[in-house]
Amino acid sequence: MSLLDTELALKRGAFVLNVRMRAPLDRIGIVFGPSGAGKSLLLAAIAGLARVDRARIVFAERALDSVPTHQRGIGVMFQEARLFPHFNVEQNLDYAARRAPHARMGVREAARRFDIEDLLARPVRNLSGGERNRVALARALLSAPDLLLLDEPFAALDGIRRQGFLSVLREIHEHFSLPMLVVTHQIDDAASLGGWMLAMANGCIVAQGDLAQTVLTPAFQALLDPRDIGAALPAAALRTARSAHAGAWVRADHVLLAAAQPQGLSARNIWPAEITNLARERGDGVLVSVSTQAGPLLARVTQAAVDELALAPGRSVWAIVKAHSL
Amino acid sequence: MPSEGELQILAVSLRVAGWAVAWSLPPAIAVAYALSRAWPGKSLLDTLVHLPLALPPVLVGFLLLLTFGRRGPIGAWLDQSLHVHLAFTTAGAALATAVMAFPLMVRAIRLSFEAADQRLLEAAAVLRAGPWDRFLTVALPLAAPGVLAGAVTAFAAGLGEFGAVITFASNVPGETQTLPLAIYAALQAPQGEVEALRLAGFSFAFAIAGLAAAEALQRWSRRRLDA
Repeated sequence: MSLLDTELALKRGAFVLNVRMRAPLDRIGIVFGPSGAGKSLLLAAIAGLARVDRARIVFAERALDSVPTHQRGIGVMFQEARLFPHFNVEQNLDYAARRAPHARMGVREAARRFDIEDLLARPVRNLSGGERNRVALARALLSAPDLLLLDEPFAALDGIRRQGFLSVLREIHEHFSLPMLVVTHQIDDAASLGGWMLAMANGCIVAQGDLAQTVLTPAFQALLDPRDIGAALPAAALRTARSAHAGAWVRADHVLLAAAQPQGLSARNIWPAEITNLARERGDGVLVSVSTQAGPLLARVTQAAVDELALAPGRSVWAIVKAHSL
Repeated sequence: MPSEGELQILAVSLRVAGWAVAWSLPPAIAVAYALSRAWPGKSLLDTLVHLPLALPPVLVGFLLLLTFGRRGPIGAWLDQSLHVHLAFTTAGAALATAVMAFPLMVRAIRLSFEAADQRLLEAAAVLRAGPWDRFLTVALPLAAPGVLAGAVTAFAAGLGEFGAVITFASNVPGETQTLPLAIYAALQAPQGEVEALRLAGFSFAFAIAGLAAAEALQRWSRRRLDA
């Protein structure tokens, strides 16, 4: 049972971190929140890298709070790769492998898996951002941690590289059954990794639970930029333009509602839906909650559309999402 | 070309400075590492380490004589149990030089411990490296250029130590007579200026070589760690 059960309190100047969390990490745990919420500090405290005023950290029924960092069995992939500059790539990987209590894979195998075989002899200062990232992840895995914490590991990546890295993370999670806690402030990354959501703001956990459900709570939606408000749908229910992830974030701005079954549309996701709620926003917007066979969705429409389509709770409509908006 | 007597002086100088660096390097690394971290009592240690810089070298030599001389508490013990004599020997000259060069060495090494990225030590910790492991495999290698620079600076300074050496170890040709002591002796002798000037030339050569080495090490370190 890979339950992470934690209570932490610490102060850094005026900032106070006060966290109580229970995350069953048989699924990927996501620590989500705006910058300055204390996400990195939370990770550092769990790993034993931050001085805490009060802590109870239990992972997989092992109490870790008085265990020194190097004996916690917690690996960390930092935002900056933190490769050792006095070693080359291979020596960086060896450093981890030699200290691992058991070998999950060899240095060569890791290099092959992360496509860094050609870099092994290189000094780390000659690596690109993406290469550093892969070396850092390979190094973290080679130390065979019981739990891997990842602090915005894809911050330095964009576009296709980011997508690729997210797939690699999911693959590792599944292949090695490795419990992971991933920090991100990007809702799309959170949705595509899926799993267990821990939402943070101002040093506290404001919402936690199954990702698809937690993201619909008002406490969670309040963390989002208005343009990002939406819902998470599982990949299985969706037709997307991208390779398969756990799920995707469907923005309310990208959901169309139709009063009658649409015909001859290019959109790939069309579901019958029932309106469960209407909420007026500031300005002209109305957020319409609907339930579909794919899961609950939010659609943002204008007041004029509400009037014209006679949208009201209980009414049956059709929800439409373009594959390329995901 | 140096004469036989001059060769002896150069040999004693190199031996004294070499031993001085060899003895003081390990404690200097330990003290520098301690001073690079925060702990209570740190400023007291800092003051103690820097004392030889502020005290007159003659006084340092005198204090050494009081403690390590044959009648001093440590000197007497060394004499009786190990039959080691420090006063008036090459080893004694090296000890006096080591004490005087110690603060210089600690300063250089401490700076490079402080400049080393703490985040790399954290990275090592989460890769299961314990405190000693982290020190030996990350902190020390990253500080290596500073350690080398500190050793070179201390060696160069050691070649020139005068007051503490002459007070504690006296001016014994072939035993404790280093370059500066020989220059002093030459100046005391009638018509010794020519000999003093020749010795001064060797001093210059050593000094310039030492400073060039320290500079080269510093450039190398910057290149190596500029990751």
